Amino acid sequence: MLKYLLAKNEDIPEGSAAVFFGFSAIIWFVIGTGLGSFNAAKLAFPDFVTGNIYFAFGHMRQVHVLAVIFGWISMAFAMAMMYITPALGNTKLWSEKLGLWNCLFWNLGLTLGLTILWAGITSGREYSDFPWPIDLYLAAFVFIPLGVNVWMTILNRRTQGIYTTNWFFAAATFMVIIVFLVGNLPEFFHLTGLTEAYLTWWFAHNVLGLWITPVAAAIAYYTIPKVTGNPLYSHRIGHLHFWSVVVFYSTPAAHHLMSAPLPEWLKSFASVEGVLILVPAIAFVSNIMLTMQGKWHMFVENIEIRFTITGCLMAIPLNMQGGFQQTRAINWYIHGTGWIVAHAHLALLGFSTFLEAAAVYLGLQTILKRKLYSLTLANMHFWLLLIGFTTYWISMTIAGLIQGAGKIYEVPYIDVVIAEHPYMIARWLGGTMVFTGNVLWLYNMWMTARKGSVVPAGRMPHELAYER
Amino acid sequence: MSWNFDKPLRSLCDTATNEADKALWEKEDLGGITEDNNRLPMPVVLLVVLTVVTAFSVTFPLWGQRPTAALYEGYVKAMSTPEVMAIQDDKVAMQKIVQMNLGGENDAGLERHPLSMDDLRIIKPQIEALMSKGVDLGEYTVVGDRVVMANFEGNKKADGTPERKQPWWDKGYLIDIFYLSYFFLGVTILIKRLPPSTWQPRHKH
Repeated sequence: MLKYLLAKNEDIPEGSAAVFFGFSAIIWFVIGTGLGSFNAAKLAFPDFVTGNIYFAFGHMRQVHVLAVIFGWISMAFAMAMMYITPALGNTKLWSEKLGLWNCLFWNLGLTLGLTILWAGITSGREYSDFPWPIDLYLAAFVFIPLGVNVWMTILNRRTQGIYTTNWFFAAATFMVIIVFLVGNLPEFFHLTGLTEAYLTWWFAHNVLGLWITPVAAAIAYYTIPKVTGNPLYSHRIGHLHFWSVVVFYSTPAAHHLMSAPLPEWLKSFASVEGVLILVPAIAFVSNIMLTMQGKWHMFVENIEIRFTITGCLMAIPLNMQGGFQQTRAINWYIHGTGWIVAHAHLALLGFSTFLEAAAVYLGLQTILKRKLYSLTLANMHFWLLLIGFTTYWISMTIAGLIQGAGKIYEVPYIDVVIAEHPYMIARWLGGTMVFTGNVLWLYNMWMTARKGSVVPAGRMPHELAYER
Repeated sequence: MSWNFDKPLRSLCDTATNEADKALWEKEDLGGITEDNNRLPMPVVLLVVLTVVTAFSVTFPLWGQRPTAALYEGYVKAMSTPEVMAIQDDKVAMQKIVQMNLGGENDAGLERHPLSMDDLRIIKPQIEALMSKGVDLGEYTVVGDRVVMANFEGNKKADGTPERKQPWWDKGYLIDIFYLSYFFLGVTILIKRLPPSTWQPRHKH
């Protein structure tokens, strides 16, 4: 792959950037969930690896979070954009070379940023923990080149219309640049106090709402019609979904700070908008489920459809939680507890990861023209991910409710820690299952590239029978 | 871009534009993916309406607010009564204070925001200071160990200063109503610019 970095753009095979991004994403997923499993072990077994500050929870937690968000999730998005955007425009990617350099700089920047973070150099702002030079680097060498490649590919399309997925890709790549530059203003200009707090959560909320959620959904809008062969149920619902994401997801940042001295009207506004994130969720889930009509057997038979539909179904509890947990009546109880950690994992490891995993499975097989090496390994990956995630989510939700009760009724902290202990062990077990599944996935995709059956030209990988 | 307002709920485009859109819709191959033109199913419309109603209902100002200083005025006064002062045990004294204040309009609020005797001792002098000034305790909120002026705004008092109580029409909710209205109006116009939902494309590829 690296040999193409200095080649002419026209000499680089189509899909090279997508393959580079796809494997990078899986490797970062293995690293990110490995760190997560290690961190969970420290919470389950307090005597596990002590005496070295670099293995302290405080040093490692944000490395896990940002490795997963900007390594796994965002690189899987980039992978999907590199092959889906041109496919939907009946054209080639605008620049494979830019895509390859983008991926290289992405990997280098992320490695540098996470190393610095691990060393303890941090902005101290949750989700935007990177120091500001790394933030600027990510904007300049990660998100802007990605956006340029996506926008130019869409502008150079050979279709008159633009399919729903590409609306989301074009808008999300633009919005994430704005989120990065505006959300990190407190670091660029040393803004402090309430302004810093608000912009920190504006960034955190919008990385989820204007980057991860819309791009994950956009992938499903491609995967389901492409693999099932059904038309997307409704172009109209696609409009409702797209615009409600932009309008309702961009505004509720203040609901993360319901107890802060922000103007109360802003909290009221944000809280209503927070419930209204259910509008895009309803539009998305209904459109995808109705597109599946007559093809539900593929939910059992096809690995990409199984991943995608599972992810879509997770959007229901995700948005029910997200919509209501931020209201004043519920927020006072669950704020600052493990409930929120469970919810964040439902968004990133549940909803979004399942949709991206489908895109990576489908994309790598399609571009490499290789049938998946082992369906058994893919099935194991799916079930380890699903059971591991569910174990994690349920145990952390229960732990969060215990913490909430402890907080409200002023139970001594150590008693809460003792009460939570079994759930911390369950959390570690769930997280470790996810990590194990990802190691199997990496092996499976590596073997697919090397030894997968060749997919004849003009055929989709899922049209061929599995050989193992 | 041509507009037709004869049947605005059916289509906002003229016939020629609709026919051109239909032809393009059926002809175009978007990477092998096709789209149908189904309308929003009625249950989905109802769910969206229910979401909007719920969004306003569950966030209404009544729910989950910080306690006001006025809520604890009765508690503070009860602390100085001989029967409470005679009780040595803090827990028993607090129970007595709660019992003395039962039956009023603040029962639900007090139940949601319980205090210990130590909490009361911290806020008592602050509330008494405000009472001696003769200010409206409803304009002050209890935040942890401090009693501070609430940051509500919206209504004005007779002297022109802002009233620090959340008005039932809250500015945030009012902005929301406009914001939502613009959104639904915009999306409706956008959708009505498409060919009518009674037409479905015939997919050839």
